[in-house]
Amino acid sequence: MRRIRSQSKVISIKAIIAQLGMALGAVIMLAPIAWMLSTSLKHESAVLSAVPHWIPNPPTLENYISLFTQTKDFPVFRWLANSIFVSSSVTFLVLLVTSCAAYAFARLEFKGRECLFMVVIATMIIPSQVVLIPVFLIVQKLGWFNSYFGLIVPGLASGFGVFLLRQFFLTIPVEFEEAAYMDGASPISIYSRIVLPLAKPALATLAIFTFIGSWNDFAWPLIITNDISLRTLPIGIMIFQGRYTQEFGLTMAAAGVCTIPIIIAFLVFQRRITEGIAMTGLKG
Amino acid sequence: MPGRVLKLPLLLLPLSLLLMSCLTSGCGKQEQRAQNGVIVLDFWNGFTGPDGKTMEKIVDAFNKEHKNVKVRMQIIPWGTYYDKVTLGLAYGKAPDVFILHTDRLPEYADSEALNCIDDLVRLGGLQPKDFMPRAWSAARWKGHQYAIPLDCHPIGLYYNVDLFKKAGIVDDKGKAKPPRNLTEFVEAAKKLTVDRNKDGRPEQWGFAFTWLRTNAHTFLAQYGTGWISRDLKHSDLTSPNARKAFSLMTRFIYQDKICPAPEGQDAWVGFRTGKVAMALEGIYMLTSVEEQAGLHFAGAPCPQFGPVPAVWGGSHLMAMPAKISPERRSAAWTFIKYLSDHSLEWARGGQVPVRKSILASAEFRRLKVQYEFSKKLPHVVYLPQSVATNQVLPFCDACVEAILNRIKPMDEALSEAARRINHVLERS
Amino acid sequence: MKAWNRNKYAAGFLIPYFSLFAVFVVAPIVYGFFISLHKWYILSPHPTFVGFANYRAALKDDLFRIALLRTGYFVLMVVPIGNALSLLLAVSLNQGYRGTTIYKVCYYLPVLTSVSVVAIVWRWLLSSEFGIVNYYLRLLGLRSINWLSDTKTAMPSIALLSIWWGAGGNMLVYLAGLKNIPRELLEAAEIDGASPGQRFRSVTIPLLRPTILFCLVMSVIASSQVFGQTYILTGGGPYYSTLTVILYMYQQGFGLYQLGYGAAVGYLLFAVVLVFTLLQFKLLPFRRL
Repeated sequence: MRRIRSQSKVISIKAIIAQLGMALGAVIMLAPIAWMLSTSLKHESAVLSAVPHWIPNPPTLENYISLFTQTKDFPVFRWLANSIFVSSSVTFLVLLVTSCAAYAFARLEFKGRECLFMVVIATMIIPSQVVLIPVFLIVQKLGWFNSYFGLIVPGLASGFGVFLLRQFFLTIPVEFEEAAYMDGASPISIYSRIVLPLAKPALATLAIFTFIGSWNDFAWPLIITNDISLRTLPIGIMIFQGRYTQEFGLTMAAAGVCTIPIIIAFLVFQRRITEGIAMTGLKG
Repeated sequence: MPGRVLKLPLLLLPLSLLLMSCLTSGCGKQEQRAQNGVIVLDFWNGFTGPDGKTMEKIVDAFNKEHKNVKVRMQIIPWGTYYDKVTLGLAYGKAPDVFILHTDRLPEYADSEALNCIDDLVRLGGLQPKDFMPRAWSAARWKGHQYAIPLDCHPIGLYYNVDLFKKAGIVDDKGKAKPPRNLTEFVEAAKKLTVDRNKDGRPEQWGFAFTWLRTNAHTFLAQYGTGWISRDLKHSDLTSPNARKAFSLMTRFIYQDKICPAPEGQDAWVGFRTGKVAMALEGIYMLTSVEEQAGLHFAGAPCPQFGPVPAVWGGSHLMAMPAKISPERRSAAWTFIKYLSDHSLEWARGGQVPVRKSILASAEFRRLKVQYEFSKKLPHVVYLPQSVATNQVLPFCDACVEAILNRIKPMDEALSEAARRINHVLERS
Repeated sequence: MKAWNRNKYAAGFLIPYFSLFAVFVVAPIVYGFFISLHKWYILSPHPTFVGFANYRAALKDDLFRIALLRTGYFVLMVVPIGNALSLLLAVSLNQGYRGTTIYKVCYYLPVLTSVSVVAIVWRWLLSSEFGIVNYYLRLLGLRSINWLSDTKTAMPSIALLSIWWGAGGNMLVYLAGLKNIPRELLEAAEIDGASPGQRFRSVTIPLLRPTILFCLVMSVIASSQVFGQTYILTGGGPYYSTLTVILYMYQQGFGLYQLGYGAAVGYLLFAVVLVFTLLQFKLLPFRRL
């Protein structure tokens, strides 16, 4: 009896230390973001005070208001609209295009299927930044430099999407589709009316990943846009590193505008993301 | 839940399309470049400061006086200006008239991106002889004329009159006496460097280096050398004269102790607030000090530090793209000539004209600081005019910083920079 | 199913994806190599074929070598430490303490930010005069450090914030891998008297090998391409101490518009990373269970 009791005591001390460690870890991970939000809610004069306060006293929305009203200097609303438009378009089109291809890899048999799939996987290993120059020139030749097409189309061939969805399609019991085939349905209708609805979890996961990835994309929008009115949020807010670099409250508000929508979206859908990673079966 | 997730991007799509159409409705106006016989010219420059306002006035006057030609000016901050110009020239959306600096001309001219204006010059309207020769030839490349110089901004000495009088550096009439050579300069600077509490950090400095690139360029030129050799084939930074120039600059900081190490200093703010008594800067900084309340300053020609009379200078050149229709070309030429003829107004905003006739005029002489700075116009040495200048300037900047802040020993910094410059020159 | 005219239907499903794939994934790789064999300034009327001259020039270019070394330093800092941290976080989340979901969200939150937000926020945190990090240092009696303007601390700072930024990503992958380890094996080891440390070393790690390999390979590829942080925070400075290869490629290709030379710089990195990746596959064999 005594042995068990002392064992459980040891375990609980360990557990307490572990949990304290985890809490400390969470604080460290959150601290920069918290400080960003805190700064964005302070008056400019309070931002540079000698003693930093984590909680703004008094909190104010004036930075966010300036951000959205001084449209001549920085069209933040336009950038936000651009980000929403581009990310939504990319997400929708990626879902469309990769689910078709993934279905073909999962269910349709054709010559060279395995080979082609390996090629798609292999391209996931190719460093995307290395080919920025040729992609830029190709897009420019298509006439899409400094346009929404240029922002949206180049990133659509997502190998990750094909991989993820194929794995998922393979887990759908074949019987569902075979039953429909027996009834004389074509692959297209089987795909759209049976398989896709069943794949909603995987599609949702891919949608979230794609949306977040597109929203946060930096190098490509930087290169392909020239007009300030075409920029997405991550590029647009760079303007605050130049002229307004000493206005930290305003700058942090800009960073906030870029981040808060994504954090909210994540909090709402966070379960899907973890499930999605598990689904890819990356263990082996 | 899953259904809602799928519908979200689908919902956002049409909503944002609607948004886009509302916001992009203003995009059509760019296409209207010629409406009912009036040619609308696009004019790009980087004049974001008070000089932009001066240019605006001149452009407005032009638009009022001309019925068939209207100029639409676009100011793009210098940081992104050349990106836009290069991409515009490459991809066909170039402006009709644009400003460029002398060090960028070879790059553009060599790639046949600039309009060759030999014929326009020959036809008349502008007399080449009326231009300062160095400025005029800076707009030429391989025997052809590609632009017209609008101005020249040489470096000169700004000095704080009050501090000079307090230190007793005056002439027999009691007016502040700016130094003209190295000896006078060091003497004056020593008197003007004040460390009241003897903590090794003077509250007032006699001098401070502002834009390192132009300051260093001036010293190099005054020792008869430069970043790149005259034949543009290799770097001269490892030459003995370059060493002398840099040794002098470091001497000011670490031996004479008349100026601070440039790291982390905003020297120009120091001059404006009366903490620095002398600064070598371009004429374009004039409005910056004119606006400073309580600052009594004056301008003088750049002192002679080394054996060769030379000063850094830059020029804004006016150019047209190679691909431009004949009507727009002649309209643009009219505008360019107008700007040149009105360079006195431009000078008022803190510039020095390059038209001899204007320089000799009484009205120009009334612009005191500009007039003082213009005395060195015949000795202006531009940044090297090589197709690779833009590529090598970062090495030059890094080199000066490293030497003046003692991040690297002088010889190491110079040979490193020279090696990198030579490497780029080889590649070009 | 097999009776369908497979090729016809397959083509229909594959064409949208593969046309995009051909134009935006395959073509750039080939075209990029083609560009790198030319001397090509964006405004020049015709690019000139120069064979491997750009590659030779890059290997002689001491700035390229500096960039390669700085990138290597960055990878060697971020990949081992970052992955160790991700694994640690995953293991602690796997213990099933109370509030695991909240912790998971907290650890993952940095991943959700764009690199420009990361840079902007950390520039503020590390500001020499006004940054809160230096404030706490001074409070502890230490001197403030010029994090981003001192050649000795600039790259380590960027590595540190990159670790903060990316730890959550690999954490989820490791967590999925941990969850896939059969409980029976761990329980059997416990019954045999193995301590938690021994269990971790002999059961968990070997079974986690595929995941670890995957994460290491992807981390190396991603971190070797570091661009945003150095572009925004330091521009490669001070004195080239944070110059990374992709930043150098960007400066050449989109700053100076020397497209051929820039492409060659990028492809040299590609080659180095490829070799390194293949080495990783050789040196860290993973056994399928």
